[in-house]
Amino acid sequence: MPTAHSIQSIGSLTAFSESVLAYPIVLSIHLACIALFGGMILATNLRLLGLTFNSLTITEMVTSLRPWKRVGGTIMIAMGLLLAASKAETYAPNPFFWTKMIILGLIGVHALIFRPIVYSKTEELDRSPVIPAKAKVSAILSLVLWTSMFVMGRLIAYWD
Amino acid sequence: MPLQNAVADALNNSEWVFALAECVHIGGFAVAIGSIALVDFRMLNLGLRRETTARILRYTELWTLIALLFVVFSGVALFLSQTDIYRVNLIFPLKMYVLAAALIYNFTVHRKVATLQNPSPVVSKLVAIVSLLLWVTVVFGGIFTGFLV
Repeated sequence: MPTAHSIQSIGSLTAFSESVLAYPIVLSIHLACIALFGGMILATNLRLLGLTFNSLTITEMVTSLRPWKRVGGTIMIAMGLLLAASKAETYAPNPFFWTKMIILGLIGVHALIFRPIVYSKTEELDRSPVIPAKAKVSAILSLVLWTSMFVMGRLIAYWD
Repeated sequence: MPLQNAVADALNNSEWVFALAECVHIGGFAVAIGSIALVDFRMLNLGLRRETTARILRYTELWTLIALLFVVFSGVALFLSQTDIYRVNLIFPLKMYVLAAALIYNFTVHRKVATLQNPSPVVSKLVAIVSLLLWVTVVFGGIFTGFLV
């Protein structure tokens, strides 16, 4: 795999993956982001399903956590790509890695579809006497996508 | 110990059982720490400000507790599967001390301040920062246990 080899041979990436400290530190940050910001995604989706946090409006839930989810998501993805790039040769043939990347793409598609009709329309959702089906569908899909993303991440280590 | 042998056999003889235990362990701490972090973010005034910290704690505490039970049980299973490695590991005991501190802190100081009627904002923020630091340290401890053998 010449491309993968040339990616991981970039000087700084080689130094990174061979460092005793840098690699586990970046992996720890990646996992800490999963914990801190995964919790926010879970909480928002459970609110959209009407299962908890019901004294808070959907608007409050979505908008007050949005900046932190953006920061957390950006750090999480940046650290993840760094981890993958530094081991490009072992990741390139790994089907779990590519499944994870496809799921990441699907999460983008989910955002494109549901942001205009759910996440940008939270005041409309709050005015509705019952939580509309589109919000619940969006929440369930988000939970399924993020859970699959998480499981694929762990399984990457099990392919040989 | 027959129990230890049974657990070790189950996890070592099937790669998928070990992977499952790891997924439960990591997923569990994500939910546990994530739910605690929601309370911390409220205490730091970084989100969910239209609700009291006490109420946020009430919404999240059951999730935290159930998730922690999953983390501890899967963690014990992972430990029993390779006790020899953990016994000589330099980071593992440190992780256990910080974990014990984080657990005690969470159910005493953190809980107490989160349920106060009118806590001083400085105290609240300090308590939340210590909480986040403790839990992030536990995550680092877990990863470093695997890397610095």
